[in-house]
Amino acid sequence: MFYAQLLVNGLVQGLVIGLAALSITLVFGIARFPNAATGDFMTFGAYSALSAHKVTGSIAMGGLAAIIATGVISLLAYLAVFRRLAERSVVALLVASIGIAFFIRAVLGVAFGHSQQVFQVPLSRPYVFGSVRITPLDLQLALVALAALALVFAILYLTPIGRQMRAVADNRDLARVSGIRPDRVMIALWLLAGSVAGIAGMMLGIKTIVTPEFGWEMLLPAFTAGILGGIGSPVGAVVAGLILGVVQEVSTPFVGFTYKIALAFIIMLAVLLVRPRGLFGRLEGAR
Amino acid sequence: MTHTRRQFVGTIGAATALIGAPSILRAQAQGTFRIGALCPVTGSGSPFGSGMQKMIIAAAEAVNAAGGAAGRKIETISEDTQTSPQAAVLAAKKLIDVNKVQAVLGTWSSGVSLAVVPLTNDANIILMNTSGAPALSVPPANAKGLSYRFQATNDRFGRAFAEICEREGFRRPATMAFNNASGVGNTEGFRKAWEAKGHKVVESVVYEPNQPTYRSELQKVLAANPDVIVTGSYLADTTIIMREWYQSGQPVKWVMPGWAASPELVKAVGPDVVEGIISVDSVSNENALSYKAYDEAYRKATGQPGQSNVYAAMTWDMVHALALAIEAANGTDMAAINAKIREVSNPAGQQVYTYAEAKEALKKGKINFEGASSVLDFDQYGDVTPDFGVFFIEGGQLNRRYVVKI
Repeated sequence: MFYAQLLVNGLVQGLVIGLAALSITLVFGIARFPNAATGDFMTFGAYSALSAHKVTGSIAMGGLAAIIATGVISLLAYLAVFRRLAERSVVALLVASIGIAFFIRAVLGVAFGHSQQVFQVPLSRPYVFGSVRITPLDLQLALVALAALALVFAILYLTPIGRQMRAVADNRDLARVSGIRPDRVMIALWLLAGSVAGIAGMMLGIKTIVTPEFGWEMLLPAFTAGILGGIGSPVGAVVAGLILGVVQEVSTPFVGFTYKIALAFIIMLAVLLVRPRGLFGRLEGAR
Repeated sequence: MTHTRRQFVGTIGAATALIGAPSILRAQAQGTFRIGALCPVTGSGSPFGSGMQKMIIAAAEAVNAAGGAAGRKIETISEDTQTSPQAAVLAAKKLIDVNKVQAVLGTWSSGVSLAVVPLTNDANIILMNTSGAPALSVPPANAKGLSYRFQATNDRFGRAFAEICEREGFRRPATMAFNNASGVGNTEGFRKAWEAKGHKVVESVVYEPNQPTYRSELQKVLAANPDVIVTGSYLADTTIIMREWYQSGQPVKWVMPGWAASPELVKAVGPDVVEGIISVDSVSNENALSYKAYDEAYRKATGQPGQSNVYAAMTWDMVHALALAIEAANGTDMAAINAKIREVSNPAGQQVYTYAEAKEALKKGKINFEGASSVLDFDQYGDVTPDFGVFFIEGGQLNRRYVVKI
């Protein structure tokens, strides 16, 4: 039962990591570079949600603000920077995304200050199932995460623009000669990636505290999940996020709290040694 | 591009001025003793930093008004650590290399002080800090004995926690510590003191920074059924822990350092969650005449009571102890000054409270400066032992119930 509780703790943590990893892997699959600004998109989403929540008092409005504002910021980053560098090397794009990350963090720091802010949500006692305790807040956040995931996958797999996105991810040149306009696909991609990061940021912000640095600190686990799941695989990113969250928590009775973070990376190394493309990644030929 | 002769002459003139500059600086330095006021004006120390800096300047003015130290005026150069070790190192380098300060005063937070102390050691100048990490007491940080600490060590905080737990009648304490020198220093200090009293700690957990949840850590601690949890924690992690603990519904008391259980924590999680938490912080030497002088200066500089910033009282004392040591050494030789710091601050000797009074008394014999922040008696490691205020959070207010001496 002790382990069941740890499992629940890990699942909630894993959903946040999984959403952030989903944003990273979407960009990597289609725009083909690791977007280091994802963490700061999350921070931006958290501050957007926080501001909307303060004004309206509604978490739902906060979520909406996070989705819209972060989607827009992400699109602006594409239009202003990434589009111009599209034909450059991966390194150029990576460095540019680090620059955008710093820029967003600095602006948030000036606008909101560096001291911590919190979502003033009422705290409630947990539901008890047997000896497993689940707080209503975690349950709600899990539902939000699942709804966000369902929506993203519906867009990817059930809509024409989603099909086009997947086609570009598969083979950009083939997609272009088939008449897919890359511009529309990229706009949809950045809106989607930004919104997902925004939701992840809001969830993390509600669970913890919001500071200008807090999204940046989530970047490493999110990248780890993206790589573990197989770069460019949306399903893989989410599953890997959950695995990381659960393994970290369930391992604590054996390795303690200091080394649980290291354990996540050991698992990633082990998986990559046996299966270099990650859990759900496809083999890619040399380009 | 063509050069005129006039431009050439101008360049030569500028170069000459540059070469000449150090001698000009030296000439100015003859009648002054330069100190760096390196405080956390921005960053997480910002509630205290600006007041700390103002009190260094105010104390230097008090010293200068009484004729300076060893015939020299104290000249203060201010810098901001941004509460970040990287920024602090850059600022300290500038103070030491460019401004040629002979002492750095006022570093706050252990990470910052531990980053700055190698620089002051290399330059063979004094560092006076307000940080808690035990590592600052011993080599390599304090290998040269040039570092002085005006705040209680984390180890002493731990001892105060043990006194409080005994006084409050707790039987089964557990500990939770943020994994750094300061956090673990608090809980280890507690464990040593508690076990020395013949009791046992039922569970202890060290946790990592920046985690989205601390529920598993809490689960482990609460599983041992403690009646109190003693922490070495900070505001951010404490905020998350308090919310998750409250939601767990398991009743337990908390004893925390004052920088974690602060008014900001009450604001972040609400008064219901933190009701009854015991917040422990060092308190100033409030009944001393030196405190009265400090309080006046602090009110004049900031419009706030001196009680609102325990660290500002420490920086006030820094300038006093240093200036008295310079006066006693009767010169600016660093080794001589360093040798005098304990002599002017520790017993025995005539108890003195203000600089002017102390300077007068120094002519007659040995003095014992009693500070505004504590009685200011440095042990062999350059550490002081302030008293601790025990605050109970009641209805969202931090009410001081009693003071603990260790």
